[in-house]
Amino acid sequence: MALEGDVGSGLIAIGAGIAVGLAGLGSGMAEKDIGAAAVGAITEDASLFGKAMIYMVLPETIVIFGLVIAILAIFVM
Amino acid sequence: MSLPESMSRIVVAGTKAHMDEAIEVLYGAEAVHLIDHTVDADEGFSIGSPREFSSKASERLLKVRSMEKELGINKHTKTPSLPVEKVKSRILSNSVESVEDEVMRVLDRRNDLNQRIAALNTKKNNLEILQMLPLDLQLYGGYESIAVIVGTVAEDPSEALIKAMDVEFFVATMKKGPTAVAVFMRNRDRDKTVSTLSAFGFSEIQVPAGSTGSPAEALKATETEIANAEAGLAKVEEELAAIKERHQAFLRASDEDLSITVEKGEVPLRIATSEYSFVIDAWVPTKMVEQVKEKLEKDSEGRMYVEFQETRGRKDAETEAVEKRFKTAPTRMKNGRYSTGYEYATKLVDVPKYQEIDPTILIAIFLPMFFGFMVGDVGYAIPFIILGAYGLKVAKGRDWRIIARVLFFGGIWSFLFGLLFYGECLGMHFTGTYSPTGITWEHIFGMEEGALGAFSAVLPDFIHYEGGHIVSHVGVGKLVEIPLLLKLSVYIGVVHLMIGYICSFINLNMRHGFKHAFMEQGGWILAFVGLVMFCYALANALIGGNMGDLTTVYMVPFAVGIVLLAAGCGINIKSHGGMSIMELPGIVGNILSYTRLAAIGMSKAGMALAFNYIAFIMIYDSMGGVLGLILGFAVFLIGHLMIFFLAILSAGLHSLRLQYVELMAKFFVGGGKEYAPLKVTRKKTHYEPLNTENKTKAEV
Repeated sequence: MALEGDVGSGLIAIGAGIAVGLAGLGSGMAEKDIGAAAVGAITEDASLFGKAMIYMVLPETIVIFGLVIAILAIFVM
Repeated sequence: MSLPESMSRIVVAGTKAHMDEAIEVLYGAEAVHLIDHTVDADEGFSIGSPREFSSKASERLLKVRSMEKELGINKHTKTPSLPVEKVKSRILSNSVESVEDEVMRVLDRRNDLNQRIAALNTKKNNLEILQMLPLDLQLYGGYESIAVIVGTVAEDPSEALIKAMDVEFFVATMKKGPTAVAVFMRNRDRDKTVSTLSAFGFSEIQVPAGSTGSPAEALKATETEIANAEAGLAKVEEELAAIKERHQAFLRASDEDLSITVEKGEVPLRIATSEYSFVIDAWVPTKMVEQVKEKLEKDSEGRMYVEFQETRGRKDAETEAVEKRFKTAPTRMKNGRYSTGYEYATKLVDVPKYQEIDPTILIAIFLPMFFGFMVGDVGYAIPFIILGAYGLKVAKGRDWRIIARVLFFGGIWSFLFGLLFYGECLGMHFTGTYSPTGITWEHIFGMEEGALGAFSAVLPDFIHYEGGHIVSHVGVGKLVEIPLLLKLSVYIGVVHLMIGYICSFINLNMRHGFKHAFMEQGGWILAFVGLVMFCYALANALIGGNMGDLTTVYMVPFAVGIVLLAAGCGINIKSHGGMSIMELPGIVGNILSYTRLAAIGMSKAGMALAFNYIAFIMIYDSMGGVLGLILGFAVFLIGHLMIFFLAILSAGLHSLRLQYVELMAKFFVGGGKEYAPLKVTRKKTHYEPLNTENKTKAEV
């Protein structure tokens, strides 16, 4: 990670941070509603746990995309 | 990838006179899954009615359950198991009723006392208010032409009362609490006074009838009465505790035995009966048909006739051909000794259909493996194995058992990955010169560099350039070889997803035939393979910077990929419509989703690195001495414990997610009905060893 005193490298680092940060925010926003609904459903019927978990973790992939972009930005560019 | 066990349908017929014996025999076989009879399914047959013994038993069961509730006996109450014969004979000799009498008598007394205490408390509150006024109790009543109102108000009503009419009144205001007021007036002024007072938030209280003397004395007497009643209540509670102690074993045992009796007595509600006979339709595992037939006929002494009907295949056409109530064959999951424990994870999503692959074995293989890949550290693996083994030994609940199982086998995988692939323990390499903090276990134990050289020979030979030096045979650094780990994760994902697609193809082929399966799923498989090849070439050209190679070595997968992709899309458009192209990016998403395998490994390694850096370099190296050692060790321990517990959550949940969302979504439908044969499970009652051969007879 050659990041010393070089504006370009700094911008890459900022870009990587934004990629992960915004993606994380996005999946958080998506998961909050699903999570609330899932907890409600599980309270009614505990056997729904598996299905609720599937829906709950679906948006998680978004943050992984952000992470991939960040890693690519740092290691490849 | 096993299918649920093959099921066959049988019909059992017998005479109604021997119904009770027949029910016992069916329960004794422990393999008969009843098919509920529906109204008008067969002409001349109707749904049976419960056995006579059932209604008495359910009445008794109700009594037992209500007593258990009153006495606070629940499934967590530990009671010994009692012999069945003893419990049955006690139930028959009306023990349930006599225990109920005993319990009810005490409960009635408790209710009476509770009511009495409540009444006395009201009286006490009233007397406390009356105590504020300067009048004896007998002065509040016994007049002919004068009415008396006593109560509390929010504010002083004196002025309003004087203004309104000719009354005599007493007001007492305390610093805290309400203002007490007693008003004496002519009988005819009563309504007017009440309406005047109501503007001040008046609430009336009753003066205890027949009391004389000062309220303070009456209050004292009441307090004594309350204390006596409470002492009486405590005694009753003690009696109840004694009753609970004395009867809880019997109550639990009779609860279980009566439940079994009621269940058996209600079997006729699920079968077809005519005037003199009964007919039962049932599912039996195919391999047990002969055995069950023989057992039923032998145990019923030839009074039951059993006939084999069909062995259900997996084709949809076969299911369509039969009557509605025979359509759904029950699912009996068939997995080996190792993977049976993971059936719970499958059932969390749904019970597999009879006509589809049961994903349990795939979960059993990949769930612990992914967990191990993400944790990949000898230092965390050993506690995981110990914790898992302990959990498997002591845990009884299904939830805890699956967690323990994943920890145990995941621990073994992470030990293997940690030792042979990453070469790491607690975030530090065993050997070599390169490590992000510069610390290796060789350093810690004061060994020469390369002292563990023999060990390092087994580690993978990835050449890594660091500061101009070639570093190899130290293991794959999670924070160093990131491109390698990312690629590896993606390859694992491709294999995992491919298994999902193949399972889907097998399911469709089994249910509808090859042509249908190819049109339905073949397009996706071709598109998937094409996309993987295409992306492989593209990624190498764009990310790997091998643009020049595009003309040579990557040209082949690029071209083949495009061809396969086009073919796949063509088939998909034909069978799923144009919108199916919109789903292609989803495949890339699915594959990239597996990069979490590398990402979570990295996050663990990153945290470990931070704690190691703080403990060794910031604290121990700069402070030195005993204090530095203790403080450094404390940070080291707390930090790694934290990573350890986070690993359970993140690695465990993410590897489960990869099974549920990425793998199972490709082929798993679910919605099967679980195989539930008639059988009896006794926990609080047991048969005495001598009488086991009489078991079925004694049940009636």
